[in-house]
Amino acid sequence: MSALDIAPQAGRVPSLAVRARDVLVSEWTKVRSVRSSYWILLIAAVTAIGGSVIVAIATASSGHSPMDPLASIFLAWLEYPVLAVGILGVLAFTSEYSTGQIRTTLAAVPQRRAVLAAKAAAVGLLTLCFGELLAFISFFLSEAILSGHHRGLSLTHPGVVGAVLAAGFTLFAIAIVGLSLGAIVRHTAGAVAALPAVIYLPLVLLSLPAPWNDMIGRFTLLIASSQIVSLHPKVGLLSPSFSMLVVAAWPTVSLLIAALLIARRDV
Amino acid sequence: MIEVADLHKCYGSVTALGGLTFEVKPGRVTGFLGPNGAGKTTTMRIILGLDAPTSGTALVRGRHYQEMIRPLHEVGSLLDANAVHLGRSGWFHLLSIAQSNGIGRHRVREVLELTGIEEVAQRRVKGFSLGMRQRLGIAAALLGDPQILIFDEPTNGLDPEGIHWIRELFKSLASKGRTVFVSSHLMSEMALTADHLIIIGRGRLLADTPTEQFVESSSRGDVFVRSPMAADLASLLERSGATVQAEGDDALAVTGMEAPAIADLASEHRIAVHELATRHASLEQAYLDLTGESVEYHAGARPAAEDR
Repeated sequence: MSALDIAPQAGRVPSLAVRARDVLVSEWTKVRSVRSSYWILLIAAVTAIGGSVIVAIATASSGHSPMDPLASIFLAWLEYPVLAVGILGVLAFTSEYSTGQIRTTLAAVPQRRAVLAAKAAAVGLLTLCFGELLAFISFFLSEAILSGHHRGLSLTHPGVVGAVLAAGFTLFAIAIVGLSLGAIVRHTAGAVAALPAVIYLPLVLLSLPAPWNDMIGRFTLLIASSQIVSLHPKVGLLSPSFSMLVVAAWPTVSLLIAALLIARRDV
Repeated sequence: MIEVADLHKCYGSVTALGGLTFEVKPGRVTGFLGPNGAGKTTTMRIILGLDAPTSGTALVRGRHYQEMIRPLHEVGSLLDANAVHLGRSGWFHLLSIAQSNGIGRHRVREVLELTGIEEVAQRRVKGFSLGMRQRLGIAAALLGDPQILIFDEPTNGLDPEGIHWIRELFKSLASKGRTVFVSSHLMSEMALTADHLIIIGRGRLLADTPTEQFVESSSRGDVFVRSPMAADLASLLERSGATVQAEGDDALAVTGMEAPAIADLASEHRIAVHELATRHASLEQAYLDLTGESVEYHAGARPAAEDR
């Protein structure tokens, strides 16, 4: 039996670390005990790996090399898989708000920001591990297809490992943005509608006249993400390290807004 | 012990609670009664720290709920049995709640057994009947073996057997010294379950009384007498020891004297009696009279108030 099976003695307040772990374990139980989590991850995996493989086959059969052999692997990622993990994040909160379960959750843990943190940690750990796993699978499958045509890249090539890791990190970042949106909007439909607006806003910004398109565009999630998964980052945008900061800033800022709101609203 | 003091809650210009003050004491079942929209659920949400009051305080064992650490060991609650993620099994629903408060799996099994739903626990809540969901919610409330229990309309959707079970559960919890606070909009239900009644209407306290006392004072009947010489009859009756209340110019409500005695007395003094009827007040009627003014939505045009 694990330590979890021993109820704390009355009158003894458990340490913050123990309480934090217990709330995290509770949220992890919630994520793994609904089928929707598995469906979403399955769809994300199929579209991410499938997309990479299709691009690799197309590249291999065409006569010329892609402009950026690394970015092309993760081209499909920024289209569908990001939406799927974003929705996984959204549902972590909206499934509780739409059913009223949130009141049971907050009656059990009245420290609302602890609940937000635990949910973010549970969804974050899951999507980070999942994202990295998918990133390496996509990379190796693509390279296996391309190396037969002598256009492959090695993991030892400078910048490659970082870019592959960054691709996995992107899924994590968007899942947390989705989770925060869920906590802020509190309705599944509303938050799911808002999610692509946050992710795909750059497509509209690209049509702004230069230099505004890049000036604003480089701070958006999608363009910053594409910078960090590229072997040859575009000039005129932020460097990969700064772009990494931008990608990390999105979940951080959205979580802070959610933390501000969750403590003051009635549920 | 729950202490609610001068609780106000406004939603924009709508006042849900207008200064509510009461205490819920341990060792008895306290019924929280009021018509729909009276503010019962709002009050319970504020007690549980889910809603913030506009002003006033609600303390549980002397503290604000939000300040409690692992509150399930002290307070168990069920606000809405349908407020459950439908895609999760009963087992995982309870397990996730238990884990958040450091409660072990053996206790989850215990409460499943206690509420009689261990057989369906592996099924998703989607397939649960309302009665099973109520039991699941009660199981969750009992997880931490708490001193204080708060239930919002727990008998909704239960069959007679389930209602009986819940009534016995509340009574046994109260007999062990626990604080049991149960809301309902049915007087008949609470008369059987509660030891003490807190009745509210439109966010205000209407009564805070032992159930026995409320039942006694409200189920006593009276005799209705209509007479053209009502005033003379009234003083005559009072001299004979009855209690008389005027109902309009020519009618009296008499208590403390039976109808035949009143008739005899009137004929003895040659006082004409046009109408004489024994009226039996019911508990439900007393409750309706009390809350009648405060009901939010009437069916038709205010029936009870204008017919009299």
